[in-house]
Amino acid sequence: MTTNDRRDFLLSTGAGMAATWLAPHLELLHPLLGRKTSGGEGRVKLALIGAGRQGRAILGELATIPDCEVVAVCDNDESRLSSALRRATGAKGYAGAADLLAKEVSVSAVIIATPTHLHRAIVEQCLEAKKHVYCETPLAHTLEDLQAISAAARGAGVVAAAAFQGRANPVYGLARSFFKAGTLRELAHLSAQNHKKTSWRTAGSTPERDRELNWHLDPKVSLGLTGELGAHQFDVFHWFLGRHPVSVRARGDLRLHKDGREVPDTVQAQFTFDDGLVLDWSCTLANSLGGRHEEIAGAMGAIKLAWTHGWMFKEADAPTQGWEVYANRQQFHDEPGITLIADATKLAAQGKLQEGVGLPYTSLYYSLADFVAAVAGSHGAGSNGAGSKAPACSLADGARSSAVSVLASRALVERTEVAIDPKLLEGL
Amino acid sequence: MLHRAACFAMGTRFELVLEGRDDVHGRAAAEEALERIVECDGRLSRFRSDSLVSRINREAGSAWVALDAETFELLERCARACGATEGAFDLCLGTAMDRLRAGQGLLAPAGAFALDPARRAVRFTAPGTALDLGAVAKGFALDRAAELLRAAGVERALLHGGTSSVLALGAPPDRPEGWPVGLGPEFAERVVSLRDRALSISAVRGSRGPGGDAAARGQVHVLDPREGRRLRAQGRAAVLAASAEEAEIASTALLVLVDRGARPAEALDAGFPSARLECIVVADRPVAGRGSGLSGGAALEIVHHVPPASR
Repeated sequence: MTTNDRRDFLLSTGAGMAATWLAPHLELLHPLLGRKTSGGEGRVKLALIGAGRQGRAILGELATIPDCEVVAVCDNDESRLSSALRRATGAKGYAGAADLLAKEVSVSAVIIATPTHLHRAIVEQCLEAKKHVYCETPLAHTLEDLQAISAAARGAGVVAAAAFQGRANPVYGLARSFFKAGTLRELAHLSAQNHKKTSWRTAGSTPERDRELNWHLDPKVSLGLTGELGAHQFDVFHWFLGRHPVSVRARGDLRLHKDGREVPDTVQAQFTFDDGLVLDWSCTLANSLGGRHEEIAGAMGAIKLAWTHGWMFKEADAPTQGWEVYANRQQFHDEPGITLIADATKLAAQGKLQEGVGLPYTSLYYSLADFVAAVAGSHGAGSNGAGSKAPACSLADGARSSAVSVLASRALVERTEVAIDPKLLEGL
Repeated sequence: MLHRAACFAMGTRFELVLEGRDDVHGRAAAEEALERIVECDGRLSRFRSDSLVSRINREAGSAWVALDAETFELLERCARACGATEGAFDLCLGTAMDRLRAGQGLLAPAGAFALDPARRAVRFTAPGTALDLGAVAKGFALDRAAELLRAAGVERALLHGGTSSVLALGAPPDRPEGWPVGLGPEFAERVVSLRDRALSISAVRGSRGPGGDAAARGQVHVLDPREGRRLRAQGRAAVLAASAEEAEIASTALLVLVDRGARPAEALDAGFPSARLECIVVADRPVAGRGSGLSGGAALEIVHHVPPASR
C-alpha cells in the first residue's frame, strides 16, 4: 500500500493484514466473522447497476452474505432486469442509474457491473450522491476515464472499491504473506496465463442485441483480452510486488475465431519492471490447457496461484521453515507442489488438513463480503475513521492496474514498446 | 445449421445440439448454455469446497444459511417432493452416500432440514444431516440452460447430461413430432419423441458407482432414503415430464417406490400435480396401484419381471 492509497481511503487500517495472514485462523476465512458489522443499524442496503452475467453472479453471492440486502437493480435490458429481479426478491427494478439514485435514497452502496466503458459516468454519479461504490474491473478503457474516476473518489468520504478479487482471496493473501516474508528470495521471473477455448461471445435474441452484448469485441470501447481478462492478473503482481512495470510490449493475432471480430483472440504481453524483472503473460481463446494461473519464481522456490488453489514449489536447497510439516502435496508432473492452506497448522492439529484444500467460499464472495464489511464498518466508525477498515482494493489501486492494461492494449495496437510512466500511476 | 458442443460437469459429460441464427450465434449460445451448467455445478456440488451446498453442509447444522432465490426455491420443490413421495426422494443423503462410497455399513439416515422463506435460509434440524443434490442437479442445470437458450432466441435444441437426463427445445426441422431419443435395450429399444419436454432415466445399478465412481460400475447406487439401505428390486425407470428437474426427481422416486411395494402412480400424482408425467418402469416385481392408461394423473406403464441378467 502506498502513501497515495492511504490518502484515498476513507478508512485506512490495513497495517495488521500481513500479520493476520502470517498466522491465519479459520474464522478469518469468513470475511465477515470477527469484524464489526452494522449490528443494530440494520443491514447494508445495496443497489446493483448492470444485470448481465457478472451482475447475476453478484446477486447470487450477495444473497448469501449476512448483513446486506439488495433493494434495487438497474439494467436497460428488460429481460436481463426481470431475470435479475427473480434472483433479488423484493428489489425494485430501474432502467436507468440516475432514476435509481434519485428514488432509492435508502441505498447506501452501489455495485457497478456494467460494460467497462460505462463505468466512469456511473461511478461519478454514485460518488456525487455519496454512495459507497464497488466497481467491476477494469475500471475503464481509457486513461482519461481512469483519471476522472480516481479524482471523483479522492476525498469523496465513502468506501470506494475496485473488484480485483485476488486481493480479498485468502489463498492469495496467504501466498502473499510468504512472498513478503522473503521465502522465494531473489526473483527470477513472473508469468501468467489465461487460456480457455471459447468464442467469448454472448448470444442475443436479435442481431442488434448481439452487437450490444458483445461490446467487449468492439475495440472502440474495449481493451480486449489485455483489459477484460489480463487486468485481474496484472493486479495480482502489482499487489504482491508493491510496484508496477515500467514498460510493456505485446503482440496478438486471430488464431481461431475468424468471425469478423477486430479484437485478437490470442495475445502475448511482456512487462518489464525497473530492476529488469519480467512478467510474461499469455492469453488465448483457442485452447484451454493450463487454464488460468499466475506464477512467481525465485531463487528458493516458486508460487503458483490458480484462483481457488495455490501451491509452493521449493528448491532443494531452500531452508526448511517448519510449516511444510503440516502441508499437503500435489504432484505436477515430476514436481511436488505444497498446497497453500490458510490455517494449516490449526487444521493439522485437528486432523482436518484435507478439509482446508480449496476455498470454502467463492472468490467473488470474498470480494463482495470484504466490501460489505468495509461499508458496515464505516457506518459505525468515528469521524476519524477509527474502528473501520479499507476495502481490499481501493478505486485508486484499481485505477493503477487498469491503467497498466490500457497501456498494454496500446502496445498491442501500436505494435511497439510502451513506457509506463510511474508519475502517471502515482497521479491516479 | 446445427451446432454441437460439450462440457464436463457434475462428474459426467453434458452435450447439446442446437440451431442458431448462424454459426457464430449458435456457438455463442451453446457456450453460454454450457457455462450455465458449469455454474450450477459450482453451486450445487458437494465435492467442491467453495460450492453453496458445501457451505450449507458445513454451516447449516449450527446456523441458518442464507441462499439465493433460485437455490432456495429448488430446495422448496425438493422438500415438497420428499413429502409427497414419503421420502422416496430426499436430499438428505449426503452422509449415507459418503458411507456407501467408503464401503462402510449403511445407517438409517435421520437427516432433515427446515426452510425459512422470510429470511430465505436453510437450517438442518437433525444431527448428521448433509445434502446431496445428485438426484436433481443435472435436471435443474438443464432447465437453467434451456431458459438461457430461449432468451438467446434458440428455438430448436436437444441437451443431455450423462445421457440419463435429456431436455428438448422445439423439434428438429424435419421431424415436427420431436427429437427422437432411444431408451436403450432395457426398454426394448423403444424410441420416444421429445418436443419441449424432458426425459430422465434412473437405474438401480449404475453405469458408474456411488459418487460417479467408474470402477464401481454395476453396483447398486440408489438408496432408499427413509430406510438407509440399497434398493433390492432390480429395474429402471424412464420419466417424461415438463421439466428435466421434475423428470429426474420422479425417476429416482419411482425406483424407490417400486422397491418399497408402494403405489407409485398415486404418489407421483401427489408430488407432481401439474407435471404431465409419463412413466415407464421396468421391474423384476409386480408394481402396486394404478397402471398404464389411466387419465387424470401420472401415466404409468409397467413392464414386469424383466430378468436382471438382461440389464
